[in-house]
Amino acid sequence: MLRLPRYIRILLGKELLDLSRDRKTLFTSILLPLTMLPLLGLVSLLLIAQQPVNVAIVDLDTSKYTDPQLGLTVDSHWLVGNLTHYLRSYGYNVSLAESLEVVRDPKVDVVVVIPPGFAENASSLDRIAHVTVYKKAGYQAASRAESLVYSVVSAFSYNLSRAKIAALLEIANVAASLQAIRNPVQALTELVSVVGERVSFEAELRSLFARILVLALSFVVTPAASYVIDGIIGERERKTIEFLMVSPAPLSHIIYAKMIAATILGIISAVFDAAGLVLYMFFMGLVYGIAIGIIVDYRLLVLHAVTAFFTILSTITIALPFITKTRGIRSASNIASIVTTAGLVFFFTGFLIDYIKLPPHILYPLYAIPYVHSILAIQAYVFEDPVRSVMHILLLALVSLALLIGATKTIDPEKLLVAPS
Amino acid sequence: MPRKVLVVDSVHKTYKGGVYAVRGVSFTVYEGEIYGLIGPNGAGKTTTLRMIAGLIKPSKGSITVDGVDAVREPFRARKLVGYLPEEAEVYSRLKGIEHLKFYAELYGVNNVDEVVEYGASLSGLGSRLYERAGNYSKGMKRRLLLAIVLMRKPRLALLDEPTSGLDVYASVHVREVIKKYVRETRSSVVLSSHNMLEVEYLCDRIGFMYNGRIILEGSPKSIIDEYGVDNLEEAFTKAIEEFRSA
Ligand SMILES: Nc1ncnc2c1ncn2[C@@H]1O[C@H](COP(=O)(O)OP(=O)(O)OP(=O)(O)O)[C@@H](O)[C@H]1O
Ligand SMILES: [Mg+2]
Repeated sequence: MLRLPRYIRILLGKELLDLSRDRKTLFTSILLPLTMLPLLGLVSLLLIAQQPVNVAIVDLDTSKYTDPQLGLTVDSHWLVGNLTHYLRSYGYNVSLAESLEVVRDPKVDVVVVIPPGFAENASSLDRIAHVTVYKKAGYQAASRAESLVYSVVSAFSYNLSRAKIAALLEIANVAASLQAIRNPVQALTELVSVVGERVSFEAELRSLFARILVLALSFVVTPAASYVIDGIIGERERKTIEFLMVSPAPLSHIIYAKMIAATILGIISAVFDAAGLVLYMFFMGLVYGIAIGIIVDYRLLVLHAVTAFFTILSTITIALPFITKTRGIRSASNIASIVTTAGLVFFFTGFLIDYIKLPPHILYPLYAIPYVHSILAIQAYVFEDPVRSVMHILLLALVSLALLIGATKTIDPEKLLVAPS
Repeated sequence: MPRKVLVVDSVHKTYKGGVYAVRGVSFTVYEGEIYGLIGPNGAGKTTTLRMIAGLIKPSKGSITVDGVDAVREPFRARKLVGYLPEEAEVYSRLKGIEHLKFYAELYGVNNVDEVVEYGASLSGLGSRLYERAGNYSKGMKRRLLLAIVLMRKPRLALLDEPTSGLDVYASVHVREVIKKYVRETRSSVVLSSHNMLEVEYLCDRIGFMYNGRIILEGSPKSIIDEYGVDNLEEAFTKAIEEFRSA
């Protein structure tokens, strides 16, 4: 067990006791990360369910046609029936309209038009039948209805094509596999890891999960940074620091204790943040029918917490030398928000870019930025390179500690005591 | 000859920005003595006490606490010194008793329980020690902080306006605590104050600060006698006039 120097231990005890009674800070660093993402998921689900989408079907054909050569019958009502059934079962409002005029109705979001001659074309051997979809631009839910229409039409088309092939084979008196004629060439994707081993579909989901975790780092950094600012500048503003500074505890230990308390807070919020993410995935899993167990990787959550710890530590240490030189809590917070915003930008790029795939001449200079190691630690794990993941954690730890020692050396106790004017 | 607990020798302090706050202050405090630093606002009392406590460094001069050079070895000197700042606050979410325990541990006293118990009795807060200090009145906070400073019996206690802002009743309590403490422990005290009655009642000797200097020093009685006046207030008014015309 790591044994902290006596002063740090005692000071940390005080910080944690104080923190345990600080409802506001606990609220913002536990409840918010835990609930924000799931709430967002829940709300958007509810809203999606509440959004009515009106689909109109216009059948301008209304005919049944039997092709004389094939003896194959197609009825436009069959397609109308299929469309109505599936659209309704997904919760869309479906109405049947007489003419194309319905496109002008602002209440209608999607119009499916079956043109004259549809049945005749569809049943023939030399023509293609068309279905036209009018979609009102810029409406998310309409896009989902549109893609459902496409699925129904393509299923209809698939079945029709099989029936045609079967009829032709019978005429030609040839024995053949319907599949071999319908789909003679197929492309197949195998998901593999970077070293080429087969991985499952879940690995893809896990990578998505990891991306979101990288993004989530930015949420835990902010409360921890503002807690430290309040801890250091706040003691000056609340006039408790002078009493503390005459104690035999070195100033550096006073600051270390605050940093440790802040990182503990950060870890707690990282854990709750990850828990919130699990809840979010759970809701999403309910919607898309994926079992949550296959997405959540507990080692990844632990890695997230460790990474969060050092990310927070490095954020605070970057901000520290500036913080102690400021006049009041307001300007200190401004500096901290500049640093945390910079972090946010990096984590956002980490969400979009696979840093781990960058060529060395671009990646190595970026090693100077602590946040890059945070991103790489998580990405390396996802790309199944745990050794590299640990290496980046160590590098991050090293950078944070170096910054911490450097930062405490630059602090002038006199300036901390009396705000610079 | 009693032991010298504090020797301040030609100490100067110029703040960054050029304020010349202390301009050559010298005084000595002996074992078991209460020394009063008085003087108008901005005279340099707080600055002087902060330098003795090792919170800020003198620009020039030396400070010795019980033989330890407080400028060169502030951490060694701090073990001997207790300091009550002019404007000190408590941690509002911690209970009074938790303050006593925290500081007893931080100062590394040998018997924490004993020291905390002594601190509790010095504070006179009784059962209210088990409430959060954020609920305390100004007087209660001051009594708690004073108890923290004195409970570990530092050889030298520096008290910057220990009764400022307190009502008569609370001030009397604080004064009694200081007096009793010095009698029992033979420790020394340097306190600053704007209350002349308090200084006359408590202090064995007084240093009158003006413009960063001590312009007058002696026991309250000797100062009053020297100027042939009724009280300290009149003596200091005269001293300032003399100093200005000189
Ligand atoms: N941090 C500082 N920076 C610059 N000047 C300062 C600082 N602190 C005090 N001073 C100046 O030093 C001088 C002495 O101040 P000090 O606080 O020591 O006076 P004081 O005797 O304690 O006054 P008071 O009775 O009002 O408490 C004043 O002119 C004050 O403005
Ligand atoms: Mg003062």
